Amino acid sequence: MTNRTAQRRRQQAKGRSSKGRSSKGNRRNQRHRSRFPLFAIGAVVAIVVAMVGLSVYNHVRTPSTPGNSDTAKVIDAVTTVPAAALDSVGAGEGINPPMAIAAGTPALTSEGRPEVLYIGAEYCPFCAAERWPMVIALSRFGTFSGLGLTTSSATDVFPSTPTITFHGSTYASDVISFTAVETETNQLAASGLGYEPLETLTAEQQQLMQTFNVPPYTSQAGSIPFTLIGNRFVISGSSYPPDVLQGKTWQQIASALSDPSSPIAKQVLAAANMLTAAICELTGGQPTNVCSAPGVSSAAASLPSA
Amino acid sequence: MSRPTWVAPASFAIAIAGTAVATYLTIAHFTSPKVLACVSTGVVNCERVTTSAQSEVFGVPVALIGLAWFLAMSGLCSPWAWRSAASWIRTARLAAVWTSMAFVLWLVYAELFVIRAICLWCTVVHVLAFALFVIVVLYGSEAAEDER
Repeated sequence: MTNRTAQRRRQQAKGRSSKGRSSKGNRRNQRHRSRFPLFAIGAVVAIVVAMVGLSVYNHVRTPSTPGNSDTAKVIDAVTTVPAAALDSVGAGEGINPPMAIAAGTPALTSEGRPEVLYIGAEYCPFCAAERWPMVIALSRFGTFSGLGLTTSSATDVFPSTPTITFHGSTYASDVISFTAVETETNQLAASGLGYEPLETLTAEQQQLMQTFNVPPYTSQAGSIPFTLIGNRFVISGSSYPPDVLQGKTWQQIASALSDPSSPIAKQVLAAANMLTAAICELTGGQPTNVCSAPGVSSAAASLPSA
Repeated sequence: MSRPTWVAPASFAIAIAGTAVATYLTIAHFTSPKVLACVSTGVVNCERVTTSAQSEVFGVPVALIGLAWFLAMSGLCSPWAWRSAASWIRTARLAAVWTSMAFVLWLVYAELFVIRAICLWCTVVHVLAFALFVIVVLYGSEAAEDER
């Protein structure tokens, strides 16, 4: 065999090998191409199934709002919690006490009475938790009308926490004023970002937010719920973790409030006593039967001083 | 992959059916949602969906967008278009189905999580759009001469 013949054979063999690699690559590309449509279709189906599944899950977890008579029963139970149950729980354990505002700050008043200002939103799960003790505490100083039931957002943390809404309610008291602002609903906004707006802060309320809803009074500026108690105390966030209310109906929560041994009562009533004690600081201990109650006195010992 | 003979007539029929349903929804949008043969209570609630804020995009009714899309797909999925060797037709058809799927997924999200109601007629439109998507992504990227 001549050198030239051997060289030609080597070149032919190299060409065959290169062709083989190329056809293997083509086959691999074809396989990828033929699989891509199936992946695309599968991805669309998977997204739809995931959305439907999440929606059904949320729907199942969201308790259906009771009818008018059941709503009235829940509101009645919350606004008339037995004093014995409140006293039995006292200061409780693990309740976040209010922060004291520096002495000398002008008092927050409305119509000549010390004012309690609450700013929250219906979607907010921590607001949902905080409204239960707020209604209990404020009902010891006055009377609510027009309270309704709602849940926190179904897509936020602690989803669909049952609660009371202040939207549309009024409050009458001889010793304090109460103002509540629910800034947003629990319904997602049309854009899918945020929630539908509900009530608007006044310029004065915005100013109070900028003054007291900032460190050191709060860990995060502008967070909700924000409760300002006569410019003497600030509560930022909920006084207790909302998880104790998870999976419960309004009726179950309302019923648990009269049983001081229940986990719900231990948290909600202790937070209510703490709030009551803070409000009693504004009213000069009025009404006496409320402010001198053993549960309130016990909670008052945990209140910070300015 | 060679294209089965049923692809052209099936996709054309689906596009025509979609045009019909989208026309119905467009008429309902511009007249009254009550003309829709659909319950209006509970989770299935066509009226709530077709009168929601999400029933329009930048002021354009979603039903009208759907009608325009199905009309365009009727052309792009006609037997003539499937026989055509023009590459822009394949590209336009693929782009149209991909865009429509993104839009349909957003609409399904809006129904389930924002409006919290399902419109049966809208769901029919979504299913038809998905059927076109399946056909076009499976068979729409091949050249016309592959047809058997």
